[in-house]
Amino acid sequence: MHNKNKYLTVFLFLLPALALFIGVLVYPIIASIHHSMYEYRTFTDPGEFVGFKNYIDLFNSQYDFGHAIINALILAALSVFIQLPLSLGLALMLGKGIKGERFYLSVYFMPVLISAVVIGMLWEKIYNPIYGLLVKSFEAMNMSSVLPPEGLLGNPKTALMAVFLPTIWQYVGYHMLLMYAGVKGVSPELREAAMLDGATSGQVDRYVVIPCIKPIIKVSIIFAITGSLKSYDLIKVFAKDAYNCSYKVPSLLLVRYAFNNAGGIASAIAVLMIIMCFGFAILVNWMFKERNPYGAK
Amino acid sequence: MKMKRLAAWLLAGVMALSAVGCGGTAPATTPDTSKDNSAATTTTTTDTSTTTTDNSGSNTEVTSDEQVTLTMWCIATEGDSNRKAYEHAIADMKEKYPNVNFEWEAIENEAYKTKIAAAMAANEVPDIFFTWSCAFLGDFVSQGKVYCLDDTLAKYKDELPENMLGNTTYDGKHYGVPTTMNIVALFANMDLLAQAGWDKVPENYDELIQCCDDLVAAGIIPFGCAGGETWCVTEYLEPIIQKSIGSDALNDIFLGRASYDNAEVAAAVDTLQEMIDKGYFDPAGASLSNDDVKQNFIDGRTAFYQNGTWNCADFASEEKAPGFLEKVKVTEFPVINSDKSKLGQLIGGPSDTLAVSASSEHAELAAEYAAELGRLICHYGYLDGCGLPAWIPYGDTSSINPLTQTVAEICAKADSYVLFGDTAMSAVDKVPYLDAVAKVYGKQLDGAGFIAELKNAIR
Repeated sequence: MHNKNKYLTVFLFLLPALALFIGVLVYPIIASIHHSMYEYRTFTDPGEFVGFKNYIDLFNSQYDFGHAIINALILAALSVFIQLPLSLGLALMLGKGIKGERFYLSVYFMPVLISAVVIGMLWEKIYNPIYGLLVKSFEAMNMSSVLPPEGLLGNPKTALMAVFLPTIWQYVGYHMLLMYAGVKGVSPELREAAMLDGATSGQVDRYVVIPCIKPIIKVSIIFAITGSLKSYDLIKVFAKDAYNCSYKVPSLLLVRYAFNNAGGIASAIAVLMIIMCFGFAILVNWMFKERNPYGAK
Repeated sequence: MKMKRLAAWLLAGVMALSAVGCGGTAPATTPDTSKDNSAATTTTTTDTSTTTTDNSGSNTEVTSDEQVTLTMWCIATEGDSNRKAYEHAIADMKEKYPNVNFEWEAIENEAYKTKIAAAMAANEVPDIFFTWSCAFLGDFVSQGKVYCLDDTLAKYKDELPENMLGNTTYDGKHYGVPTTMNIVALFANMDLLAQAGWDKVPENYDELIQCCDDLVAAGIIPFGCAGGETWCVTEYLEPIIQKSIGSDALNDIFLGRASYDNAEVAAAVDTLQEMIDKGYFDPAGASLSNDDVKQNFIDGRTAFYQNGTWNCADFASEEKAPGFLEKVKVTEFPVINSDKSKLGQLIGGPSDTLAVSASSEHAELAAEYAAELGRLICHYGYLDGCGLPAWIPYGDTSSINPLTQTVAEICAKADSYVLFGDTAMSAVDKVPYLDAVAKVYGKQLDGAGFIAELKNAIR
């Protein structure tokens, strides 16, 4: 009887959080899976049950989803291999307690605080092929022929990188702050012990600090990958109406089809994004799993 | 332990992706509304209440001195050509309907399309909303979300010609109040043409090509087009197709009565690409917005600008384009194939429309208000040069700018109209169409590729 009451109390205390979790998170995902099996030509009418047809159709040239996935993976790779090393480098540098540490910390973190729309507008002006900062700088150096006449955003060969650059730049400060907190948390005794053993500053970072902040690096990698796969706001500013832009990503297609009478297709995109993000999260966790050097677990 | 780990991962994954999960479409528990809200008795069921509509569709009776709030969404933002017309019309309406507390909100064009679609799904549409005619409004009408205006518009039959209501009539019933009508026209900066040795606007296609060659030789860019806004590309492509294959053939394609599998359409697409290849288009346009491209035309960077005639208002405005009215002329795109097309075949027609939500608490009053407001927007819009009137004009119209007057002359001689493609098509067909148009401008599809892609994609 006593146990029964205890379980009931626990259940009642957990109920509000559980209801919120199921209602706000689990239900929309299940609903997305359900919707992806129907046509949903209008918001209100599910239309015919089509099974997995929406998933198969997605890879037709008409929807061009394969291209969007490749772009999202490129962005994820750039985030992991350029953005995070940059963040780690800055975190290690600031973590050593250099002069003006607080100032630099604020400067690097500032882009995170600015709205993505503002950043998009700002970079759009920088890239403007007529009066942009970039074209004017190259003109001043007599190098304007290096830039494509249609502008970096208008040329399919350069547009992808031109759009991804500010996306990566914006979140360098965010990951830097996470890693900086980790670096500051490393015990000074460990550093001192390594230095007494003759380790250089670089060796201390490589063999002491980085292994200590591995859990934070893992979280940063998961955030960077899932954030890249879901990226929308900044890219939407550049994409305008998003028809045939060479930097289309899954979220752009999702929003477009959701509001253009193809709800089933939009839901299929949402489900695939969930699977991809979840899959990458598992993969990263597996890669960072501590393994016994002698083979046994 | 494994279960615990799996559960932890599931939770972490779900937490991380919550935004994606919410990105799906709304559950199918939306209101069940009748298609025909003018029927004898229409029941509208919402999540929280059930209301009954009588013959006139009015949900709530309003006495003349009772204070009522009506809301409206439109696209007349600060930068929109129609903004002044809306402001004047709303000011007049406040005097005429002192018992109506009118609240309106203007949303940018592209964002508006998304917002109104989402609001329709959630049944959170304002009493009156701006819409484009034909398929755009038709999608909402077929969902039973729009109030039938038959009774209201019957009172205005002497002022609003029936032929202006064709694009907002579905199954013989009227669902929209048209404001102005517009066509796609070719604007020319005569100062730049003069620098290339032209003292008149090219009158046929050969002359246009010669003029473009002369402009390029003089170091002047002939055309400006915003590649990032695909509707701007259609303003070039659709007239070229129309003047190559004729209005009837294009209309049949847009309305799904004929396939895109047409060699003449492919040839027309190739014509546009030849113009791009010859350097007739400003390359910078590929990454610019329409506002930038229009400003470049006003500033004298490009000699021609092909777009909607609502631009007459801006080109005639001393505030937005000082001294530009003396330099600019307007004409229609010349005929490319005279066996199939002729002058007077135009892209455009009555499209800008006000409609009333079927779920409005004061639908009857909103309908009357929308009709009066539409009439006034039409009047002031016509005076400002934002388009030609869908309603019979009244008052002194002598001050109308010469560009709009020329457009009126072009329309007076019109042979036929084909509505803008993205308005004529349903939302489902519009997406692959605009995608293919954008690919044509980006040189990723040629004419053959264009028809091959669309003949399968469009129903």
